[in-house]
Amino acid sequence: MSTGVTSTITERVNRIETMPSIPAVLLPLMELLNAPPDKVKLDEVVKLVSYDNTIALQTLRIASSPLFGLPRAPQSIKAAVMTLGLRQVGAMVLTSCLGQAFPTKGWALDPTVFWRHSLGCAMVCRKFSERLHIIDADKAYMAALLHDMGFLVNCLMFPEEFADALERASQESIPLVDAEQVTMGFTHCQTGRALAEKWRLATEIVQVVAHHHDIEHCEADHSLVSLVHLGDLLCRMRNLGYGYYERQKVDLVSDPAWSVLVKEHREMENIDLVRFTFELDEDLTEIDQLVSAIFGSGKAASAR
Amino acid sequence: MTAGPQIALSKPAGVLQAPADPVFRQIRDLVYKVSGIYQVEEKLYLLADGCGRRMRQLNISTPREYWDRLTAHTNRDAEMRSLLNEVTIGETSLFRSQPQVDAIRKVILPELISEKSKQIIKRLRIWSAGCSTGEEAYTLAMVMMEEQAHLLKDWTVEILATDLNDRSIETAKAGIYGDYALRSTNDYFKRKYFDPAADDKLQVKPEVKKLINFSRLNLHDDSKMLFMKGLDLIFCCNVLIYFDGPSKSKVVNHFFNDLNSGGYFFLGTSESLLKLNEQFHLVHFPGAIAYWKPSRTGKKP
Repeated sequence: MSTGVTSTITERVNRIETMPSIPAVLLPLMELLNAPPDKVKLDEVVKLVSYDNTIALQTLRIASSPLFGLPRAPQSIKAAVMTLGLRQVGAMVLTSCLGQAFPTKGWALDPTVFWRHSLGCAMVCRKFSERLHIIDADKAYMAALLHDMGFLVNCLMFPEEFADALERASQESIPLVDAEQVTMGFTHCQTGRALAEKWRLATEIVQVVAHHHDIEHCEADHSLVSLVHLGDLLCRMRNLGYGYYERQKVDLVSDPAWSVLVKEHREMENIDLVRFTFELDEDLTEIDQLVSAIFGSGKAASAR
Repeated sequence: MTAGPQIALSKPAGVLQAPADPVFRQIRDLVYKVSGIYQVEEKLYLLADGCGRRMRQLNISTPREYWDRLTAHTNRDAEMRSLLNEVTIGETSLFRSQPQVDAIRKVILPELISEKSKQIIKRLRIWSAGCSTGEEAYTLAMVMMEEQAHLLKDWTVEILATDLNDRSIETAKAGIYGDYALRSTNDYFKRKYFDPAADDKLQVKPEVKKLINFSRLNLHDDSKMLFMKGLDLIFCCNVLIYFDGPSKSKVVNHFFNDLNSGGYFFLGTSESLLKLNEQFHLVHFPGAIAYWKPSRTGKKP
């Protein structure tokens, strides 16, 4: 893609007034949560969560949802944060911010489909990192949760063009990113990058957003981008794609991203990918429950 | 609901209908290690049911005692076989895995046909190894017949279906199935490829049977295994689980050699090849897994 197109996207993304702005609490909160676990200041996290009404309410609501099976709903933000755990608070705040920033009505891409894929990918990447001690698991979770944020930008800023791309992808059973390139001349990787940079997200997250479909052009930290690339592929092969049949054969071990990870982390070679895949199927229930909790009942299951 | 997405969370407690006793997860892991069969959390109750039936037969009262029987007792191998029988029982039906059928029709056949199109003889050879009572072989035959009008026009399709058990082969040849075996077969296929039979059952039409060659074969018989050549697809569903380590890897090596380059090997849907053969490439299709013998061109998928 030419620099011309890139600057056009950036211009368009910057110019449009409806372009979502980053919620004020997000950056300081992420900074707090990214500290080593024993150094995280719980009280400050609670203070920041309480500062944003929407986030505070959602924190309480999630902590009291039946998923946690608590005998009674937590009565304070502090209790809710402690129920969820700091990692969950971080992920929730991020998702909640994205959700606030983007309306869910009139999306070309069904939001339940989008969140199933993003959450699935986040879970896969976290599990992979935990299993192999290759990359900080929480970082992997965040990066994967956000990797496709460009689709949100596309739904909002280029609704018609993106609807055409999605239509073409499902008609021809091809990867959505290829359909975007053909019909729009750019992809969610570029639009996602523009927003991620505008929001001043961490460089490594920007790299994941920009290069999870072309790891060879990644400018730094190949490991994280490679991991998310593989997680994305695996999810699309296990009922966590974009809601249509992708006519694809995926050989993860022969993928260049796999070689990147093996080179840096020899223990990758020992992973049992089949069992890993079966275990991902087990997570589908949990993912669907989460998505249902967000969008109301029934929808997530029909998105399969 | 207007609120934006919110999220998070670790494994919710008590949401899944899993058996309470943690021993069942230990047994699940042992079964996987020995056989490659993985019972996902949602289906753990099936494993627990299977263990329960074995426990009643053996007059064992606790899962922990049964675990000892599977691990420490002198007859543990025989007991593991009995348990595997319980776990995989009733798994056979026609069109058991739609994602597998989709992968074959939408991805694999177009690829095989484009790779083989330069050959003079346009022929596809498929083997259902351990075909039991024939459900898988007939499914494949019907799928191939569906494609014969388009993708497989001018192609000859041969399906070999073998089993060790003579009685299974006879049942397979008859091709008569009831509701249970046909539970995943849609009306389109039922109408097109079956005739009514006694007791409300359905019988596979002669033109479908014509595509399949049923015979008896012992997968341990090396000389016969060497004879099976030039295959494009091999299916071996829930058969290898009963073999011990060394004979399992021997049979898998035979399968690898019997396949054409670019061919595919399929196991059961919850079955893994573990680390039995490093030459096969594990490949994913939407909702399905297969093992691929790389093409001679070394072309990446």
